[in-house]
Amino acid sequence: MSPLELVDDRFEKLASELRAARPIASEELRERVRSLTPPPPPRLELNLRRFVPAAGLAAAAAALTIAVVLAVVRGSNPHPVAAEKTSASKAALFPRGLVQSASAARTPVHGAPFRLDLNKALAPSVSRLQRYDAVLRVRVASQEELSKQTQDAIAFTRNAGGYLAWSSYSAPGKGGNSELVLRIPIEHVQEAIADFTAYGDLVKQQIVLKDLQQKVDGLTATIVRLQEDLVKIHSQLAGILSPEQRAILEQRLQQDKTRLAALTSQRASTVRRAQMASVALAMVVGPKPAAAPAGRFHRTIDDAASVLLRELELLVYALLVAGPLLLLGGAGVLAGRMMRRHSDRRLLERA
Amino acid sequence: MPRRRRIAAVRPNAEFAEAAERHLDDVLAFLVYLTGDRNVAEDLTAETFARALERWRRFDPRRGSARTWLCQLARSTALDHFRSEERRRRREGRYSVDVREPVEAPFGSGLSPELEGALARLSAAEREVIALRVVVELDGETAARVLGISVTACSTRLSRALQKLEKEVSAGVAA
Repeated sequence: MSPLELVDDRFEKLASELRAARPIASEELRERVRSLTPPPPPRLELNLRRFVPAAGLAAAAAALTIAVVLAVVRGSNPHPVAAEKTSASKAALFPRGLVQSASAARTPVHGAPFRLDLNKALAPSVSRLQRYDAVLRVRVASQEELSKQTQDAIAFTRNAGGYLAWSSYSAPGKGGNSELVLRIPIEHVQEAIADFTAYGDLVKQQIVLKDLQQKVDGLTATIVRLQEDLVKIHSQLAGILSPEQRAILEQRLQQDKTRLAALTSQRASTVRRAQMASVALAMVVGPKPAAAPAGRFHRTIDDAASVLLRELELLVYALLVAGPLLLLGGAGVLAGRMMRRHSDRRLLERA
Repeated sequence: MPRRRRIAAVRPNAEFAEAAERHLDDVLAFLVYLTGDRNVAEDLTAETFARALERWRRFDPRRGSARTWLCQLARSTALDHFRSEERRRRREGRYSVDVREPVEAPFGSGLSPELEGALARLSAAEREVIALRVVVELDGETAARVLGISVTACSTRLSRALQKLEKEVSAGVAA
């Protein structure tokens, strides 16, 4: 089929005449073209059509490499979730101020549910009086669990000989939280903490131990001295005294008695405080946090994906920022091309 | 020079030589119609092939045939020539066509004087579409690509150019 048939058959005769008289290159022109010598190959030829895909591939490979390298570096460190549990474990075993034997702590296996080892939990001293304050925060699976574990904690406390000092319970919608302040006999506090941490996922644990023995010893010594003073005052009052001296001694006696009563009460209160540990237990209903990936390889993959996602975010951000400029540039290029075509057309029409 | 580099350098030149031999007439015919001047067309043909040899490494057969690529280069070379001519005429304040020596049968030997005259009276824009579609026998899509326009625009332009050519021939015969 002749290309011209697509246009109009009327011009076939005209077309045949034009084709028959088609200009043919002279031998001189052929020789001229044959004698063309190739230019020396350029050292660096930038071909945009090849450069742009190659640059895109190189950028993608670089992004992937950066992601993998960062993931390997970060993968060698503990996962944040695992780290949180590890720190919680360490806090349980070696609270602040008592970390001198932290090297004995064992890091829990990644992904394994964290449970306090009763034998390794910080134990109150049996020979000295101590104040024992614990703060626990546990995430439970559902409202039913929240209610059940709240009742269980109160029952455990009562069975251990303790009592509920304060409580707050609310379960709106699908969430909920329960806060309890429990007084538990010091000899059962380890068992209680181990029991409470098993209610769900332990998200926070803090134990503070404060020695009260010295304070009680000091109070006892002061009380003994006051008692001795009182005996002396009594013996002096039994003797012969002037009215002024008697009045002074009786005033001193009254003051010492008042002070003795206060100190005795303070000592009794301190001893009671040392006998009952305070455990603040907060339970919340919430989704289970993502488990730490089991192995280093999984952590590396996970981290690489997050780094790639971050790189993608940066790319989108850069495109959003540079987008208007790129659009303007593109519009300029298109306008320039159209103007050039228009100019060429006019030039050919004039020629 | 290592053997591999020597082969890589020789192979493109061989391919170029083959393409030049095959499409030289097409490029010349196109440029003759575009310029309406055989001598200028020969110079521009040589210039086109010199440019093609420089850029042969950039030629990608997947994007179009060598003939299409050479015709695009030829058109670009001719446009550069027209621009420089226009600048020169503007500078000199007169049209070079006034001093150009008339060339006998610029559009090829064997054409009737009426057709020769009619072609000369067409504009370069009209002659180029006739050259591409009728003389070089490119299909509509390829010709449109060379001209940088749509296929429909190319068909319309060709139809109008042929109608005008026929009218001019009739007018020439009547005269």
